[in-house]
Amino acid sequence: MSTPAILVTLAVIVLAALLALLMIPVLVWLERRVCGLIQDRLGPNRTNVFGFRLGGVVQSFADVLKLVFKEEYYPGHISRGRWLFIIAPMITFASALLAFMVIPFADDVVVYGEKLRIQALPIDYGILWYLAIGSVGIMGMILGGWLSHNKYSLLGALRGASQLVSYELALGLGVVSMILTYGTIDFNAMVHWQSDMVLGFLPAWGALVQPLAAVIVIVALFVETNRAPFSVAEGESEIVAGYFTEYSAMKFAMYFMGEYIAMNTASAVIITMFFGGYQLPWISTETLREHFGAIAWVLIVVLPVAVALFIRWMKRNNTVRPTVATDGGRNFETKILSRVLIAMTVVIELILLILSFLPADSVGTSFAVTLLQIAVFVAKLMVFNIFFIVVRWTLPRFRYDQVQTLGWRYLLPLSLLNIFVTAIIVVGVAS
Amino acid sequence: MNRPKIKTVPRYNKETKERLYLPAIFAGLKITAKHLFTNLSDINAVETLEYPEEQPTDITPRYRGLHRLTKREDGSVRCVACFMCATNCPAQCIHIVATERNDGIDEKMPAVFTIDTLECVFCGYCVEACPCDAIRMDTGIFSVTGKRREDFLLDRDRLLSHHNAFGEDTSDA
Repeated sequence: MSTPAILVTLAVIVLAALLALLMIPVLVWLERRVCGLIQDRLGPNRTNVFGFRLGGVVQSFADVLKLVFKEEYYPGHISRGRWLFIIAPMITFASALLAFMVIPFADDVVVYGEKLRIQALPIDYGILWYLAIGSVGIMGMILGGWLSHNKYSLLGALRGASQLVSYELALGLGVVSMILTYGTIDFNAMVHWQSDMVLGFLPAWGALVQPLAAVIVIVALFVETNRAPFSVAEGESEIVAGYFTEYSAMKFAMYFMGEYIAMNTASAVIITMFFGGYQLPWISTETLREHFGAIAWVLIVVLPVAVALFIRWMKRNNTVRPTVATDGGRNFETKILSRVLIAMTVVIELILLILSFLPADSVGTSFAVTLLQIAVFVAKLMVFNIFFIVVRWTLPRFRYDQVQTLGWRYLLPLSLLNIFVTAIIVVGVAS
Repeated sequence: MNRPKIKTVPRYNKETKERLYLPAIFAGLKITAKHLFTNLSDINAVETLEYPEEQPTDITPRYRGLHRLTKREDGSVRCVACFMCATNCPAQCIHIVATERNDGIDEKMPAVFTIDTLECVFCGYCVEACPCDAIRMDTGIFSVTGKRREDFLLDRDRLLSHHNAFGEDTSDA
C-alpha cells in the first residue's frame, strides 16, 4: 500500500469510529429533546459550557461524567463470575460497534491505482458480517440477565433472547430476498444497484423495489435493537428494568450506549439496503464525478440559503419568552454561532468554487465526491435515527405474546412468501 | 341443559385495515410529527414554564403553601398555645412551648412555635384544627429551600413574618 492509501484507510477507520461513538451523546440528546417536543415539553436545555448550550446537547456529556464518577456497585450475591458480569455489557457494546464497521460511507476511491473501500472493515460480505456480529449483542444481554441472580433480570434476558430468535428468522429471510434481488452480499454493490432507476423515473431504492421486504426488515431491526415498541426485554412497567436491573454506573452506561449504537447501526443498514445508501437519488457516482462542476454550483447556491434559513430559525427560537427578564446568554450564543456558521459557509463556498473548475478526472474531484457522499450518508443516518426516536415515542409497547404472534405468525410467512415471489421474478427476468 | 353463563365480549378492529396495523402506525406518526414540527418552529409557544425565571401564576387561595401565624389587630400573635394543631398533626412536626401572657389580651401565648418543614406533609390539618384561626397556609410559598437542616425549621418570628399572598388579610379583622 502506498502512503496516501494508508492515510485514507486510517481516516476511514477514524471516521467510522467517530460516527458510531460521537453519535451516542447526540442520539441521547435527540431522544430526550424530540420526546419532549412531541409531548409539548422542552426537554433538557439548560446545561451549558460558558453560555453555549448548543440546544442542550451539553447535557449528554454531563450525564456521561456523572456515570463515570458513580460508585461501582456489585450485588452481594454475585460471588462467582463477576468478571463475566463486567464483560456482559461490553459484549453488547462491542458487537453493536463492530457491526457498524462494515457500512460503506462512500463509493470506492482509486488512490494511485489502488481501489480503496470507504468502509472501516474493507470486506465484501458486509451483510453476513452484520447478521453474524449484530446478533452477538444478545449474548451480553443473556449473560447480564443470568448472572444478576435476579428473577426480573432473568425474565428480561429470556424475553430478549426468545424475541431475537423469533425475529432473526424474519430478518434473515427478508435479507435473503434482498440478496436475491441485488445478486450480491456486498453492501457497496447493493448501493451501486440502487443507483439505477426503475420504471424510468423512480430511483431503484430497495424500499421501492421490495416494499414488503423493507417493512419486514425494518420491523425486525427494531426488535434487533431492542427499541420500542419491542422493548419487552427492558419492560420497566412489568419487570423493573429487565436484564440490566442490577447494573449501575458505567456498566449500565455500556448497555445504554450499546443500545444507541445498535440503533445507529440499524439505521445505517436500513439506509444501505433500502434507501440508496450514500447515494443521492437519481445520481450515480459516475454522474457525480463527470458533472461535479454543475453539482458544485448547485451546492454553492443551496448552501447559503440553507444556512440563512437555519440562522433565521435560531434567531427566532434560541430565545426566551418576552416576559422573562434574563435570557441566560442565548442572544450571545446565537450571535457567535451565526458568525461561525457564516465563516464556515464562506470557506466551503470558496472550496466548492475551486473544485467546480477542476477537471472531472482529477484527484480533487473524486475526493470531493467522496466527501459529498459521506455528507449525504450522515444526513440520511440522522433522518432514520430520528425516525427510530419518533416511532419510540409514538407507539405503546407490544405485549409479550403479541410480539411473538407478530414474529411467528405474520412476519415469518410473509418473508417466506416474499422470497418465493422474488425468486420467481428474478429467475423469470434472468431466463 | 345447564350451560354456564358465558358472556362473549365483542372483539373490535377486525377489519383488514386495522389488522394490518401499519395505517394506524402512520396515523400515530403523523400526530407525533405534527407536534414535533409545530413546537420546533416556535419553541416559545410550548406551554412549559421556564422556572425559575417564570413563576407559576395558577396558585389559588386554597393552595396549601408555607404556614404563617396570624396576628391580632394590635399586631400581637393570635395563637393561644392550645396545642390543638400539634396534637392533630399527623407528621408531628409542630413544636410549641407555651408561656403566660401578661398584657391582658389573653391568658396564654406560644414562647416557641416551630414547624419542621422537613417533617411536614402539608396536609393542612393544623389549619383545620385551630380554634382561633391563628395558623394558616395561605402564603402561596411553594418552594422551601435551604442549605442546612436548620434552615427548614420555621420559628415563631419567621412564621409571623409571612403574609397572606391573596388579597386582603382578613385574619386580623
